Amino acid sequence: MAEEKVFARKASGLVRGLSLLDAFGVGFMNQGLTPSMWVMISLGLSVYTGGNLIIATILSAVMCGIGFSLVWGILGGSMPRSGGEYIYNSRILSPLIGIAESFGNAFVWIMWIYVLAPWTVDPGLVMLFQFLGMPQVADFLSQPLALFLIASLVNLIALFFLVFGIKVFAQAQKIVMALGILGALVILLVFTFTSREAFVQAWNDLAAEYGSLSYDQFLAAAQAEMEAAGKTLPVTWNWFDTLGVMVAGSWLFAYSYCITFIAGEVKRPEKSIILGNLFAILVPAFFMLWLSIVLYRTVGFQFLSATAFVDEALGGELAGYTLPWAPHFVGLAAVATRSPILLFLMALSFILFNFWWVALSYLAFPRILFAWGMDRIGPKWFTDINPRWATPVKNHILCFVLGEIGIALYAVWQEQMSGLSVTGLEIVSVFGVTALAATIFPFVKKARHIWEASPYSHWKIAGIPVVTIGGIVNLIYLAILFYFFIIMPGLEELTIGSLIFYVLIWGLGIAWYYFWVARNKRIGIDVSMAYGELPPE
Amino acid sequence: MRIFFVTDIHGSNICYRKFLNALKVYNVDVGILLGDLTGKMLIPLVEKAGGGWETTFMGRNVTVDTREELEKLKKTIENVGYYWTHLTPEQFAELKADQAAREALFKMLMLDRLREWIALADERLAGTSYRVYMAPGNDDHFEVDEVIEGSEVIVNCNDRVVMVGEHEMATFAWTNPTPWETPREKPDEELEPMLESLISRIRDVSTSIFNFHAPPYGYALDLAPELTKDLVQAADRRVHVGSRAVAKMIEKYQPLLGLHGHIHESRGVQKIRRTTIINPGSEYSEGILKGVVIILQKGKLKDYIFTSG
Repeated sequence: MAEEKVFARKASGLVRGLSLLDAFGVGFMNQGLTPSMWVMISLGLSVYTGGNLIIATILSAVMCGIGFSLVWGILGGSMPRSGGEYIYNSRILSPLIGIAESFGNAFVWIMWIYVLAPWTVDPGLVMLFQFLGMPQVADFLSQPLALFLIASLVNLIALFFLVFGIKVFAQAQKIVMALGILGALVILLVFTFTSREAFVQAWNDLAAEYGSLSYDQFLAAAQAEMEAAGKTLPVTWNWFDTLGVMVAGSWLFAYSYCITFIAGEVKRPEKSIILGNLFAILVPAFFMLWLSIVLYRTVGFQFLSATAFVDEALGGELAGYTLPWAPHFVGLAAVATRSPILLFLMALSFILFNFWWVALSYLAFPRILFAWGMDRIGPKWFTDINPRWATPVKNHILCFVLGEIGIALYAVWQEQMSGLSVTGLEIVSVFGVTALAATIFPFVKKARHIWEASPYSHWKIAGIPVVTIGGIVNLIYLAILFYFFIIMPGLEELTIGSLIFYVLIWGLGIAWYYFWVARNKRIGIDVSMAYGELPPE
Repeated sequence: MRIFFVTDIHGSNICYRKFLNALKVYNVDVGILLGDLTGKMLIPLVEKAGGGWETTFMGRNVTVDTREELEKLKKTIENVGYYWTHLTPEQFAELKADQAAREALFKMLMLDRLREWIALADERLAGTSYRVYMAPGNDDHFEVDEVIEGSEVIVNCNDRVVMVGEHEMATFAWTNPTPWETPREKPDEELEPMLESLISRIRDVSTSIFNFHAPPYGYALDLAPELTKDLVQAADRRVHVGSRAVAKMIEKYQPLLGLHGHIHESRGVQKIRRTTIINPGSEYSEGILKGVVIILQKGKLKDYIFTSG
């Protein structure tokens, strides 16, 4: 190792303290391991029944490992601040685009609350009580009022984990991550140590106990339903469906970017942010790859696609199927083991990862608003920091209130609210715009001084900056997702509505920007001063 | 009256030049550049056998082979607030072993850069109507005052009460103790009489400005990450590190405005009774000039906007 050639004098200065493990933790938890594996399997295979989970996982891991790690790692390492992608996009692209995109992302974080807090209840808690043989409790939790009340409690607990400072959050995250991973490992080990014969026997035994369909009957009934819906149940995989499954797989691989909200506190940011992103993609990929292999071996290719269709497209309702839980992958593991402790840990894994997603909204949303407030693109109280807890408490409360409104709407109009695809908005807005910013980062004149001081400015392949290559790979991945998202049959009729919704949100963001520009101008403040370029010479 | 307030640029050439240019761009009447003015790192450009230079910059080993690359590297070093020096491998080894020589070299380079800054200001601001005030911070050696004093256009406001329009402004560079034992720091008990003495020179404290480098303890502008014994961030906890003496003075005298720096991460604004306290923060190492434009009208604070240029 070369000798370090640098001298420092006695002067105040901080060494950042969040480690690579902490950065990884935030990125990994935002990938939502267990519920995201559920989405990839149930949503992915219900629509693209011929998808190959193993190949979709490998392709996603490679493309995200290159694209997301480089884009978010290099931008975060070059501008290690905790304001999210608003910082990058406003500096590299333009303040207006930065605000419009950021506005969309603020909505996204609220949308996650109203989707995921209820998911913690149903299927999370519902699954737990079904596994534990308490169907009455599970049925009660499925009612709109119960869903609203328990989801609201989840929302409130998530608020408490962040509003009192990041220390509580960081400590709790370690516990949640450990228990969540433990539960996921239990699921994997259950499948690993269950042969096909043992699984079929366990399924048939359970079916006999509950008067439900046997393994073969379930397959035949599901196939009939699929054909009635104009689908086929292929005996083997195909490339088109495999690429389509990657849309649902994006839940598991595209969300490590949350690290950007703590980038200002990570030590050795030039290494930790990029590696944190990479590991937060590779670790879920390892789990998903393992799960895919053992699922195909234990459950079977056709049966897995059939259960995914029943779980997602039919909402678990198949004539003759009377097992007490839905046939999702955790439910399939529950078929293979009857140990209450293992069942508890498996359901807990789903619940904890889901719950922590909600908590991460409280990490991101208040910081986004704080960054706007500092630029006067919002009321002054966005920047109020509570001296006792060192957090923007008012922003946290706003996040809670907006989340509550969303949860209430979701409890009543679940289908419509689910149709406003959060993923679609993120693909177009957050990921797409930021990938574009990364692609052109080395070539933008106004950001040149940031690029030249960046530790990655010398990273080149064939003369092309690595951040540009990463940006292009990321854009290709996002284009694949967007194409399949648009043509996804299950969401076809809602796609136009979603697109209008995205345009509306961007429009609101632009209106928000101009409103604050005009308002400040009236009192003699030129908002462009907040981020306008100053001549450097 | 419009004031542009900046703090903690720590030797960054690009930030200083932006500060001078900002006076016109932001259309202000007064510029205030509060310490810390000087940088923290010295980058030795060590000659390589067979030509070229090598060093460590931003945590990575850097090698340059041509003069053009070298000049570009020097400019980047200056822009992030660091200093550079040419050394042979033997000179580097000697300097590494000699702390006193390193400190002397550091001091020389710091003062040289500050002289360049003063000369640049004298050249650019001569004949303009801008009023510019400058003062050191706790990281700046005492010789810094003399260099500022040498300016024809910049006023060294350190430890003085000066008029900023119709407002009196008292400036104070010292801070309460830091873990780094910087040149201008004292316990709060010793700062208090110094501050009382300074404030006693103000005639109308209700319209005055406290331009104190240290932020007041216990409010939103002095939150810094908690440190371990090794001066590494404990990361997940922020603690108050400001001056209790400064807090006491603000609470006691309730000036119109408190301008503060020192804690780069605590960019923000807060109201303490009738006093508005502001810390514009600092991102000097990225070449970004963080500041705040303050509008005063009829003896009151009309508005403010944080800037990032």
